[in-house]
Amino acid sequence: MAYDKIRDPRRIMHVEGDMEVDYIYTAGIAGERFFVALRDKEKLVATHCDKCNHTFMPPRMYCDRCFAELSNWIELPPTGAIASYTITHEDNNGERLPEPIVLAFIEIEKTDGALIHQIGEVKPGALKIGMRVQAVFKKKSERTGALTDIRYFKPA
Amino acid sequence: MNVKRRVAVVGAGITLFRRRLKETGKELSYLAANAALESAGMTMDDIDCVVMGTAPDAFDGIHMKADNLLDGAGATRKPYSRVYVGGGTGVFSPIGGWWHVASGLFDTCLVVAEEKMSPCIPHPQTAFRTIWDPIITRPLNPNLVWIFALEMNRYMKTYNIPKEHIAMVAVKNKGNALDHPSAQLAAKITVEDVLNSETMVWPVQRLDISPPSDGAAALVLTSEDVARKFTDAPVWIDGVGWSLDSAYWTNRDLCFPQYVAEAAKMAYKMAKITDPPKEVDFAEPYDPFTYKELHHMEGLLLAKKGEAPQLTADGVTQRDGDLPICPSGGLLGVGNPIAAAGLMKCCEMFWQLRNEAGKRQVSGAETGVAQAWGDLMQVGTVTVFRR
Repeated sequence: MAYDKIRDPRRIMHVEGDMEVDYIYTAGIAGERFFVALRDKEKLVATHCDKCNHTFMPPRMYCDRCFAELSNWIELPPTGAIASYTITHEDNNGERLPEPIVLAFIEIEKTDGALIHQIGEVKPGALKIGMRVQAVFKKKSERTGALTDIRYFKPA
Repeated sequence: MNVKRRVAVVGAGITLFRRRLKETGKELSYLAANAALESAGMTMDDIDCVVMGTAPDAFDGIHMKADNLLDGAGATRKPYSRVYVGGGTGVFSPIGGWWHVASGLFDTCLVVAEEKMSPCIPHPQTAFRTIWDPIITRPLNPNLVWIFALEMNRYMKTYNIPKEHIAMVAVKNKGNALDHPSAQLAAKITVEDVLNSETMVWPVQRLDISPPSDGAAALVLTSEDVARKFTDAPVWIDGVGWSLDSAYWTNRDLCFPQYVAEAAKMAYKMAKITDPPKEVDFAEPYDPFTYKELHHMEGLLLAKKGEAPQLTADGVTQRDGDLPICPSGGLLGVGNPIAAAGLMKCCEMFWQLRNEAGKRQVSGAETGVAQAWGDLMQVGTVTVFRR
């Protein structure tokens, strides 16, 4: 093999390229109901499988256990409990963040599922697994129908 | 070939094919898989394993998308695998299902194929730009259509084929699709309509080419014992074949798809077919472009080299002809959600061989052949189904 320690690939024979493609993703049947309720009503929508007695959060249009199509849509308040959390001090490029970000796995009440989101209005030292939290929403005019319509969860 | 046991198809399901559907890829997979289970009279409890066929991640825009599709395909907490040979994936996916069951490892296998091409902006062609070798080919900024235009022109010149004969493929397939409930581009058109349509990359015109689509399809495969419990009319997968030619498209024969012929020979040998034009009653060759149906009929050894256009002109390939080709309406008529389009062809064989094809029914069909093509335009995948 031709091996020499190569630090700058442009110093050897090369071709430059990219893989740029843009996307617009549809939210889907279940996703659309979820995000419309989040944006317009500050509610979380789950689906319930009566046969398996399982409540899907985020909602799905089908039960992945018995494969039934689900039609039992439930609106819930945006509250839950921290099942786990982490505190990130660096961004994706390894740069130090000005303020650490708290990310949590939040079990949503009355469902069998969870959402991942940021935690705010609490000192990292005061965080506790099991802590009840509730969603803090953006102003109505700033919402787009996305999970980021919730700014973060704060202690309830 | 040492095939341990015969594999049956006992159910088929399909979604609508459309340029853009609201459902996510998971939801499309669910709708097709659930329809196939219902058609088989089965529930998820009857399914031992799942095979997913889905083409480039870059279409859906989800890297490792088979994992994203897992729960929609009913594969949560089951043995699950993805098979992938680009555009050939659709017909390769039941081959993947077949080896799960033929090997004796599983009694039942749900095969799902999905493609959601609409997320890709401005056009799914954008994603194809990066399949070429980055050193030798990509600096010329090729797209798929001009590669095919080179092939089509060479094919026409070599065999002195009039464009009118090639245009007849679009007329036939879009017309056949009028009877397909999933169809995206069914239409009653004329040869003149094709010849007068916008020239995209000469000699490829607008009506020579299939559309980008969203859609999903599914089949339920079982061992012979299980099939007998669920149905009196199983359809058998009697032959499977696949082959890949050199990825250097400049080092291949532009006129004859040898890789399809190799795959077909493997499948025919397994199915003990020695005279394909006589023993095959109808076929679903891959038809993303008009001339490709003809090319692939020749690759499938159903027509002699250069003679598929004349058979088409003579009406042999019509649904009521001696050798119906793409009775479904094909990719040109039903649509082309890549992997799902290939599996749609296998669904069509299932319905035809069970006499469940409604207005599309080919009379007396006992043996069908489906084929898909793709990857770097050098893969052939073939299945032979019998009733």
